[in-house]
Amino acid sequence: MTDPEAAALYRLMAWLSPSYPVGGYSYSHGLEWAVEEGLVRTASDLEDFVAAALAFGSGWGDAVLLAAAWRAAAAGDDAGLAAVAELGAALRGAAELALESTQQGQAFLKATLAAWPAPGLAARIAALNAPPVLPVAVGCVAAVHGVPLGPALAAYLQSFAASLVSAGVRLVPLGQSAGQAVIAALEGRVLALTRRAAAAKLEDIAFASPVIDWCAMRHETQTTRLYRS
Amino acid sequence: MRQAAGVTAAGIGAANAPQAALLHGAPPPVFERGDGALEIAFDGRPGGLVHLYQRAPARALLPKVPAGQPSEAVLITTSGGLTGGDRMRYRVRVSGGGRALVTTQAAEKIYRSLGPEVDIGVELEVAAGARLEWLPQETILFDGARLARRTRAVLEPDARLLACEMLVFGRTASGERFRRGSLAERWRLERGGRLMWADALGLEGDVAATLDDPFTFAGAAALATLIHAAPDAARHLALAREAAAGLGCRAGASLVNGILLGRLFGPDAALVRAGLADLLGRLRRAASYGHSLPRVW
Repeated sequence: MTDPEAAALYRLMAWLSPSYPVGGYSYSHGLEWAVEEGLVRTASDLEDFVAAALAFGSGWGDAVLLAAAWRAAAAGDDAGLAAVAELGAALRGAAELALESTQQGQAFLKATLAAWPAPGLAARIAALNAPPVLPVAVGCVAAVHGVPLGPALAAYLQSFAASLVSAGVRLVPLGQSAGQAVIAALEGRVLALTRRAAAAKLEDIAFASPVIDWCAMRHETQTTRLYRS
Repeated sequence: MRQAAGVTAAGIGAANAPQAALLHGAPPPVFERGDGALEIAFDGRPGGLVHLYQRAPARALLPKVPAGQPSEAVLITTSGGLTGGDRMRYRVRVSGGGRALVTTQAAEKIYRSLGPEVDIGVELEVAAGARLEWLPQETILFDGARLARRTRAVLEPDARLLACEMLVFGRTASGERFRRGSLAERWRLERGGRLMWADALGLEGDVAATLDDPFTFAGAAALATLIHAAPDAARHLALAREAAAGLGCRAGASLVNGILLGRLFGPDAALVRAGLADLLGRLRRAASYGHSLPRVW
């Protein structure tokens, strides 16, 4: 492994770890309602929920947004970056899904500007022209730091899946090992999405997950809740 | 309606290629591609209509409405349905404080395609102080249908738009399901020059498996979306939520960038349609948009 490859790995592990101060632990992406409704009762249900969120919900859309933001930032295309940021913020099916992604995006930029400054980073962030959603923020920062797109996509999707599994482990509840087994079982899906997203264009964004949007909508009025989405 | 669809589908083929020719091994018929267009504009003057252009198979009826009610247009696809390669363009504009309601006379039928997509483009423009209700009836995707539809709404800051869209996955009343084919349903809503909400619903390949997945469509036979953009749309969130919780299908409401969204879906298309009509009716009453929905609803 070359030094730049090891550095890319080091940075991605820091930025997308649960301890990076973006508050990822406070969002469940509608899973809290799915558990309340009895739709998710087992580790196998949890795996199906996260698999659907990855392939048909925000996972795929976020991956394509991340790739587009990465390319625009790497090319210094500020207009392109602003357009991706605007689209990313608009492509949200429910209030809490928008909140989840926008709040984490802003927190990600704040933490990164403070701890991981890089030449050109502030200029690219200014070009976003609006609070970006998390995948746009991550794509932009990764490109400025010279982190390759493929690993950034894999790390983002792994973190997306792991964060949902972690919420599921608390909510169902499940044992930690059962949760890890779900993350292991989802590896193939994450890698497939990574491959496809790296070659995708913004027009390839497509969702097919009304159940998850519905869970997020109904979560807004759930009486007892631990999570913000 | 279901039977009429079948008759119409056969009718198109029969008109261009007599059955006898098919039986005698004649070359396959060359179908003419539909290329329909409809432009309609309203303003605040009595009568409201200021512009109408129509090209078959798109047509509009303009029913007389009682004074004080919004202008109304009822769209018709004169070919009875759309097939792969057909192209339809709609453009609706409301300005000068006008109020208009556009609906369709029947469900839009998208027949099985042998390759190309049906390509539908919709542009909705609402100027300051004006109001548009875009309330087409459902679109029925026959098994093997391929549909790409783009809807773009451009609103000035204090314009009002109430829109809905409902997709039915197969001629469900006769037991058919949309199992294969493709769907790309894209929405963009801009207000004051800024993109406020976008959506891209996509189905491709093994559509049946995606529709059956408990965490994607959970076996839905229909999906309906309601969009309400208005300066005071947030005021109706509580009502929409309450209504959604009591419908005969899964339904929810939310607010994204100030746009009120409703989603309804379920395994019984008739219940989804009834739920959508219920939700639309309540919202229209709460927002004082008119006495009742057009009779087609």
